[in-house]
Formats: sequence, structure tokens, C-alpha cells
Amino acid sequence: MDSDAFAGFYQRSAPALRSYLERVSGNAALADDLTQESYLRFLCATCPEGGEVNYRRYLFRIATNLLRDHWRRPKLACIEDVPEQLLAARDGLSRIDSQSVLDPALARMRPRERQLLWLAHAEGYSHREISEITGLSTAGIRLLLFRARRKIARLLRQRIGADRGRA
Amino acid sequence: MTFRSCGCENELARALRDGHWPEGCGPELRAHVDTCGSCSDLVLVTRTFQQARSESEQTAPCGPPSLLWWRAQLRRRDAAAERVSRPVTIAELFALFVYGFVGVVLVASEYRHGLRWASWWSQLAPSRAFHFLPVGAAQVDWNLLLFISSSGALALLSGLVVYLASEKP
Repeated sequence: MDSDAFAGFYQRSAPALRSYLERVSGNAALADDLTQESYLRFLCATCPEGGEVNYRRYLFRIATNLLRDHWRRPKLACIEDVPEQLLAARDGLSRIDSQSVLDPALARMRPRERQLLWLAHAEGYSHREISEITGLSTAGIRLLLFRARRKIARLLRQRIGADRGRA
Repeated sequence: MTFRSCGCENELARALRDGHWPEGCGPELRAHVDTCGSCSDLVLVTRTFQQARSESEQTAPCGPPSLLWWRAQLRRRDAAAERVSRPVTIAELFALFVYGFVGVVLVASEYRHGLRWASWWSQLAPSRAFHFLPVGAAQVDWNLLLFISSSGALALLSGLVVYLASEKP
């Protein structure tokens, strides 16, 4: 992949990758760091065959592994670990809905559940593709996703009901 | 919790993924979603995540790709340099090991032969080597000179070996 091809691929894939990392980790600063590191590792590695679809899946796999490494590392009390929304107000009114409904629900899910839900429902990956990205078995993903979906649907309904009650 | 998948789930998931829900779907499927808990969960969750994804993508700040490309080139070059210098590092470590081994053998050998260094040290002070007479003018203790020059060379070499072994690229 040459510089121009990479620039195009980056423009098309970076927002989606960063969104995935931010929503799953719940930390915008960490998402920025891991996005950059994912692309660096992607460029230093031998790219898979099969064009952009496979590049994208490979990139998500690298990011997933980096997230897993991050969670395995012992936690340090560091300013970088504080979620950004605690330090500064987010901009953009369009984020209010998903912030008030999805973010609290996601915060009550386990990291693995957040990861699977995002890959399946936001990125639209099939169980087989998620299996390639996460290294889990397809049968395990099917079961975990079913449970996670049921759980988050219940949390979303509660949240939506509470918002309507307030309105 | 029982794991029971609905037969309409694949069709519904495809419609949601392609953006055909609800306008592009038949009335039967829409009626089914109203009554099926699993499918209504799927619609709620997928649409919420899709909305969150599109909002996140609009606000996601991403750096310039040229900077990443440049950093990747640097990292590649560093990795290549490290690969090339690995045999040299191994050779340095091997040299350090051999040097240490020879030193230990030398000390052990001297110890077995009665550790004559003590007598050398006692002869060091009255030795004529330190009288600074012209070499041809006096009888020089060649053993002592050899010992001093060997010790100096060993000290220099050991410094060099330790430096090379500890040097990082």
C-alpha cells in the first residue's frame, strides 16, 4: 500500500475505528491513542489479501487486540485514565440522544459485551467476521451476543421510559 | 436465560444493515416485529447503535494520515536496523562470555599454582622498574613489566567489551 492509497483508506476507516474504540473503552483519549497505534501496526505488518474489506477487518482485529492488552495491564491512577467527559463538556447537540440513552446502558455492560454489540450492530459484521476479529468461536459469539442484546435492550427501554417520564 | 433465535432474525438483520427498515420491508415483517420480543430487541439495539455510530463518526477527530505514514516508516526502519544489529549483539555477548570465562580460568589456574601474585606485589615496591633508569643501563625485571602491561591491556579491553555489550542502538 502506498502513501496515497493509505490516505484514502485512512479517511474512510479512521472515524469508524475511533468510534468503536471510544464506545467500547468509554475513554476518548485512549481511543485516540489506540487508533493511532492500530494504524501504525497495520502499516508495519504485512497487509492481508482481498482489498479494503479485509484491510478493515484486519485493522479492527489489531484494535481489538490492543484493547485487550490495555485491559490486561495493571491499572494506574493517571490523568489519562479519567474519562474525557469528566474533564470537559462534549460539543455537538447531535450527541445528546446517544449520550443520554446508549452511553449509560453501555456503561453497565461488560467490555466484551460492548465490543460484540458494537461490531455486530454498529459495524454490521457477521458472526464469522466477529470471530476473526476477536478470536472467539462463532457459537460462543452467537450466545454472548444474544444475551448482551437482550440485556442492553432492557437497559435501553428503561432509559427511554425514564426519559419519557421526565418529559 | 434460554437461547431461542427467531426465524425472521436474519431477514430483519439484513434489512437493518442495508437501511431498508422499516419502509423497505413488508407489512408481515413489521407486524411480526411488534409481537416478537427477540426481533423488537434487534431493531431497538441495531438502530440505536447505528445512530450512535453515525454521530460518533461525524465528531471523531482523526489526525493527518501523512503523519502516521511517516511514523510507520520510522518504525519500520528501526525494526529493520534492530534485525540487522541482532547478530552483532549476540557476538558481543558471546565475546563477553568468553572474556569472563578466560578470566575465571586464569584466576583458577593461578590459585592452583599457589597464588604467586602476593609475592609479586611484595616485590613491586623495591623493583628496579620504578627507578626510572634508562632501559639499557640497568637490569629490568621483565616479568614485572609484562605483568603491568598485560594488566593495563586487560583493563582497557574489559572497558571496551563492557561498553560494546551494554551499548543500545
